[in-house]
Amino acid sequence: MSDQDTRTEAQLIDPKGRIPVFLRLTLTVLGISMISELIGIQEIPTGIATIVLLPMLYAVVIGIIITPDVLGKPIGVLQKLISTEEIKLASPMVMLALLPLGVKYGTLVGPNIVEVVRAGPAFLLQEFGNLATIFVALPIALLLGMKREAVGATVSICREPTLGVIGEKYGISSPEGTGILGTYLIGTVFGTIFFSLLATLSVATGLHPLALAMASGMGSGSMMTAASGALAASVPEFSDQVLAFAATSNMLTGVTGLYMVVIVAVPLVNFMYRKLEPVIGRGGSAKEE
Amino acid sequence: MALDGPKLLNQLKLLVVIGIIILIAQRIGWDRGIIDAIPGMILVVAISFFALIVKGILPNVPMPAFAWASLAALILSMPFMPTADWFLRYTDEVEFLGTTAPILAFAGISVGDKLTTLKKLSWKVVIVAIAVFIGTFYGSAIISHVILTIQGII
Repeated sequence: MSDQDTRTEAQLIDPKGRIPVFLRLTLTVLGISMISELIGIQEIPTGIATIVLLPMLYAVVIGIIITPDVLGKPIGVLQKLISTEEIKLASPMVMLALLPLGVKYGTLVGPNIVEVVRAGPAFLLQEFGNLATIFVALPIALLLGMKREAVGATVSICREPTLGVIGEKYGISSPEGTGILGTYLIGTVFGTIFFSLLATLSVATGLHPLALAMASGMGSGSMMTAASGALAASVPEFSDQVLAFAATSNMLTGVTGLYMVVIVAVPLVNFMYRKLEPVIGRGGSAKEE
Repeated sequence: MALDGPKLLNQLKLLVVIGIIILIAQRIGWDRGIIDAIPGMILVVAISFFALIVKGILPNVPMPAFAWASLAALILSMPFMPTADWFLRYTDEVEFLGTTAPILAFAGISVGDKLTTLKKLSWKVVIVAIAVFIGTFYGSAIISHVILTIQGII
């Protein structure tokens, strides 16, 4: 990665001598949150399904566009508000801001604990559904002419634990490492926006809202929130259960996800690569590992 | 691992600031009185802080602080727990969706320095990433749907 900031998280969140940075960031976030809440929930009926837009969606979009790379350059005054230091501080702040949400999720699972335990087998088995990335995305990557990059890019949804596993096994500057960084980065920037739209549109597929809720727990707190929040708003009659099931599934993926990647996904993606690459791969053949 | 006192104290201060942002934002979006929601918010911040402490004490357990926070609140709110009643009564004043806008505002700003790297990626990576997202989502959803149907839950 390009950023060479060596400061630890503990140093980043130390306000000593950096009070203005903290003030600018928190007041900006307060402003964004207030604007987003003022816009409120918007429902857009399309032919097949209603798209539900939540305040959190406006918040992430506004957050991205006020950074220097987007509107900061043309609108100079924004750079006085948000620039490198504030962006750096925002990362550890996400982790802290997620905690109150984590508590709220717990209060949704607790009262529904009996239903959640009854659905235990489904929770465990749907973890294998995450392997579908390999069956769906690997062939597409090969058809597009990717080589070993495809292995990293499609091994899983590529959140932090997978980044660690692939980075350790192949090195982060290897082709596999480049692949996983690509999926990771796109997920980081567009994941919440994408999943909140995908979740509400999926109601039209006929898959049960509780099944969609379980699928929303992918091991990323913010993506799960975007998907399940939008889903809960589209099916108000299941709202609490949807949030409870999504939170449980996400907790489970947080614990099992790493083992799933190491024990099943990495060997499977390599096996599939060996089988598929000679058949549908484009261009010259790639060297193995 | 020993607990990092100064770091935890800074985290607690920031949690309080985040709590205040949520209280103001949910006053606007969800018409929740700021004063009414303060006791609930104190509980929410306290459990969040507890999660950070547990994470610090057990660094080798592969659970993020987010999951510890959920687990603690889950246990306190189970129907057969004596705490469930009052705990839910206070935390209900903190709106679920009200906590989400500040998170994603921070998240949006935090990716600001990754956009240059993102622009360098080829369009192929974007298509593959979308296929990955769709694959993991529907893979899990289809399996869940089948198992829940077999179990007779849905």
